[in-house]
Amino acid sequence: MKRTFVILASNPMSLFGLILVGVVVFSAVFADFIAPFPEHRGAVVDFTNFNQPPHWPNIFGTDLVGRDLFSRILYAYRISLMLGVVVLAIAVPIGVTVGLAAGYLGGWVDFILMRLTDVFLSIPPLVLAMAIMGLLEPTLTNGMLAVTAMWWPWYARLVYNVTRSEAQEGYVLAAQIIGASRLHIMFMEILPNCVPSIVTKMTLDLGFVILIASSLSFLGLGVQAPTPDLGSMVAEGGNYLPDSWWLTVFPSLAILIAVFGFNLVGDALRQVLGSDQ
Amino acid sequence: MNTLARSLTAALLGASTLTLAAAAPALAETVLRLDEVAVGELDPGKASDYADSILMFNVYDTLVIPAQGAPGHVPHLAESWSADGNTFTFKLRNDVKFQSGNPMTAEDVVFSLERMQALGQGLSYLFNVVESAEAVDENTVAFTLKEPYAPFIASMVRLPIVDKKLVMENLGDGDGEMKDWGQAFLSGNSAGSGAYTVSSHNPQQETVMEKNADYFLDIPDAAPDTVRLRYGLEPATVRTLISQGEHDISSQWLPPEVLKALADGGAQLLTESGTGGFYIKMNTTKPPLDDPECRMALVNAFDYASSIKMIAVTPDVSQGSPATGAIPVGMLGSNPPEDALTSDMDAAKKHMEACATAPEDFNLEVSWIAEVPLEERFALLMQANFAQLGVKSEIKKMPWALFAEQVSKPENTPHISQLFVNAVTGDPDTLLYGMYFSDAAGTWQSPEYLDDAEVDELLTQGRTITDEAGRAEAYKKLNERLMEVAPTIYGYDRQSVFAASERVKVPALSDPSKAFGLDGMGFTFRLMEMQEGS
Amino acid sequence: MSPVVRLLAKRLSISVIVLIGVSMLIFTIARVIPGDPARIALGPNATAEQVEQLRQRLHLEDPIWVQYGYFVRNLAHGDLGVSLYTNRPVLTDIAQFLPATLELVIVAGIFMVCLGMPLGILSARYRGRMADNLIRVVSLLGVSAPSFVWAVILMLLFAFFLPLFPIAGQISDTIPPPHRVTGFLLVDSLIDGNFKAFFSALHHIILPAFALALSGIGQAARLTRANMVETYDKPYIEMAESYGFAPRRIANKFAFRPSLIPSLTIIGLDFAAMLGNAFLVEAVFAWPGLSRYGVQVILRKDLNAIVGTVLVISAMFLIVNIIVDLLIAYINPRIRLANGGRT
Repeated sequence: MKRTFVILASNPMSLFGLILVGVVVFSAVFADFIAPFPEHRGAVVDFTNFNQPPHWPNIFGTDLVGRDLFSRILYAYRISLMLGVVVLAIAVPIGVTVGLAAGYLGGWVDFILMRLTDVFLSIPPLVLAMAIMGLLEPTLTNGMLAVTAMWWPWYARLVYNVTRSEAQEGYVLAAQIIGASRLHIMFMEILPNCVPSIVTKMTLDLGFVILIASSLSFLGLGVQAPTPDLGSMVAEGGNYLPDSWWLTVFPSLAILIAVFGFNLVGDALRQVLGSDQ
Repeated sequence: MNTLARSLTAALLGASTLTLAAAAPALAETVLRLDEVAVGELDPGKASDYADSILMFNVYDTLVIPAQGAPGHVPHLAESWSADGNTFTFKLRNDVKFQSGNPMTAEDVVFSLERMQALGQGLSYLFNVVESAEAVDENTVAFTLKEPYAPFIASMVRLPIVDKKLVMENLGDGDGEMKDWGQAFLSGNSAGSGAYTVSSHNPQQETVMEKNADYFLDIPDAAPDTVRLRYGLEPATVRTLISQGEHDISSQWLPPEVLKALADGGAQLLTESGTGGFYIKMNTTKPPLDDPECRMALVNAFDYASSIKMIAVTPDVSQGSPATGAIPVGMLGSNPPEDALTSDMDAAKKHMEACATAPEDFNLEVSWIAEVPLEERFALLMQANFAQLGVKSEIKKMPWALFAEQVSKPENTPHISQLFVNAVTGDPDTLLYGMYFSDAAGTWQSPEYLDDAEVDELLTQGRTITDEAGRAEAYKKLNERLMEVAPTIYGYDRQSVFAASERVKVPALSDPSKAFGLDGMGFTFRLMEMQEGS
Repeated sequence: MSPVVRLLAKRLSISVIVLIGVSMLIFTIARVIPGDPARIALGPNATAEQVEQLRQRLHLEDPIWVQYGYFVRNLAHGDLGVSLYTNRPVLTDIAQFLPATLELVIVAGIFMVCLGMPLGILSARYRGRMADNLIRVVSLLGVSAPSFVWAVILMLLFAFFLPLFPIAGQISDTIPPPHRVTGFLLVDSLIDGNFKAFFSALHHIILPAFALALSGIGQAARLTRANMVETYDKPYIEMAESYGFAPRRIANKFAFRPSLIPSLTIIGLDFAAMLGNAFLVEAVFAWPGLSRYGVQVILRKDLNAIVGTVLVISAMFLIVNIIVDLLIAYINPRIRLANGGRT
């Protein structure tokens, strides 16, 4: 772990990625202390200072009801990261279990579970999430549910492939011979060997979950006002282009920076841990 | 960008300039381009919102139309009319032909009414009061009402006359003698006598209309030859198209900031006002808002001044003016403009103390209609205002279709709904009856679920008293009562503002003496004037 | 049976199973969620009887498996039902909007292959140098933002501030559109010989297609590079180098070809993902594709239209994947030679 970190920090690109991720995580966690106007994350209106371009002290300008955009972006990071972590915390265990079971048990279990995975994989991710999200009420919980529904199959696929090749390995056969239970083999023998690729994918995915969630809220299916959300900020601000450009440009860049950071780190991690795809 | 991409762009730019240059000499034909947010419903029997009304008023005709710049109505397809108790008799013009070439007769009027009633959609509820319609002779039609209904003539602006013969030739699948009443046909084709014919109609994208050369009235040459009504354009798109000279009239739903940017760039602002308001409706069946004191607290806490500031476009033009009560200024029974409502925090706090529920136990659901981004700002404004009373609230965004479904049951209706409501015939009855009569509850107009005997009584008086002064008196009292029971926060009196290019003049939307006083009627294309050489 | 045909048959049969699964899944999701589609469709002024009638007609009172039975029976006749939102057959609606979306996705796909792969090749050939680093950063940036962010940024730069491209729509208003043959504006205008329309359509499609393609371009470049770098490390390349083959020839013949296969797989997946992302780009550029229809029918709980739209998009998705598999089978010498060897 420590070694990995040293390798990451010694490469300029991944170091840059680490810095970006650090900044994003830091601003999300300490938004209460960094944000110049922490109360602007909620319903505050100030019609003496609304729709203003960047100026001091509103360095990113103000939105249509006079709230500080910079403060709101910091809080939006918090929501995005939380969503990303929760989605992965649910999707990964489901995907891993399905992948392990299908890959190791084989036969009918394999056929049914993997066809089920295929069903989910063959609806374009955004369309599936939209269908779920649009039919449910647009709340944060349902947003997480929708993104989770489209995320677990990728882990099922990944773990399935690894399991299939690992199942032929000597240590698995050895465990079988000494009479270890199937559950033991799946979770105690095979699973540890999947961990590097899962971890790498999770780092990369944290960026992509943020990306997909922002896409959903861009289409109007995200969290509700007054909760700050990057995707809906871009969507709403888009109505006021090109005059009030700051309403869209800063939230757009915020998404770009966060996802770029996670991608840089994930990329480097993939090389270090030597697990491709 | 590499050189290849750059030269490709240059080539394309060249190509598009060429096409523009080539198109220029053939400018004899004038094209008017406008847009609306909602999907256009071409079937006149189902017309209800603004886009539908624009289509209906141009493709179809009605027996009467509102007088310009004055109260009352003038003959249109009808030459004259008379009322005798509950019977209204109209004498029709004998020189009107439908676009199909069929002559317009009393039979068509009867058919149009029956079709409207049978479909039961759109604004058909206006005609629930009609017992029957009868063709007395070729050019005379008589309507018999079930009960006295004073503003019946005003309702006639919502009864488009449909070409019976053409519809009967084109009935689609369905049960019974009338099959589908021509719904399939009329959703994509016109069967009217109007000044414009439909040359193509795609409800998701656009409707293209052409001048009707055989119209029974003279259409001035300056009126546009072709009209393209496009649906669902984004505000940023409209803003750019207008400033680039590729669009003529925007919808009324542009946010004030965008209208302002357009006006700063030289666009003209057109207005239509006097028929409706912005109503913040409180569900009077759902605690804590079932207590009038609690409602009064919110009514007094609402920041009326900020809301006016929010909708100002330029120093002279605004999307609304201060409200004085339930009835917009200028309409029958309204208060004078100097009675503008203002917020009063002290009064709000007093009412809050009298309210049966403590403020910290409130959890208000403040909804806003997803299609109207401005409402989100009002939701935030309310949340901030109510927080000053210690009241907690939660903002909920709802697509229109979902909202319309949820309000059909009081328990599903949010605490607070924001609606733009207008008098569909210009008469206060069509503004207020649907909102506040106890039996009319359960529609999108009435999320208050108000059940107040005095309000019901006054509303009934308003529609049965036949002399104008008596009606004015009834509406005046009604207005007062509606302030007392406070089912609604009366946000502001609405004025629709449209941005338009200099290519078109629209007297009905810019000259008060030409205004119709009926929403959508200002978009009568035959009265618009395209400007030469622009 | 040749291996390619066998592969095709296998893939097709799996696709059919998957599509049945998709239809069940989306059918269930659409129906178990609260909200009365009949009430929404009839609008706020409808009476309770009218709502009841429509519910009967839609079989909403029946148990869900019975409803699914009706659905399958109609589907067998090529009928996806009538949309409650537009009052037209869902298939007619989809046929109207799908071509514009496909056109956008195909042009974006062309951008992806024609820009992404060459960038990847360049990057691999000059690996470790300035050009490589630059391309890597740019392609990672491309992957790092949702397409709507790119759409907004491109629109702001090249339609508002530097008005090189139109900001909305598929073709200029002043140009009469070509006769509808395929529904693809670029193709139809060529069939008509209407070059004015063709150039206008091309001019309109570049920005949205590019915005849609950007993440795909980044992905394609990254993969092509990664796979080529891997093959560059193989002994046979070293051998080729020692034999004195020109670097260009090595790049093309020995390094690029083998790395094409894994790249193609992912490009196929990306291409299919663009079918979903097209929704975002269409929303920004007011592109008259399936997006607005899709979002509207979802918001209105228009059951038939939701099921129909998702089903058709998924079918497209599967078809693209099958085509990619066949392409791979064709390129891959093992499969192709096995084919030649057996017949």
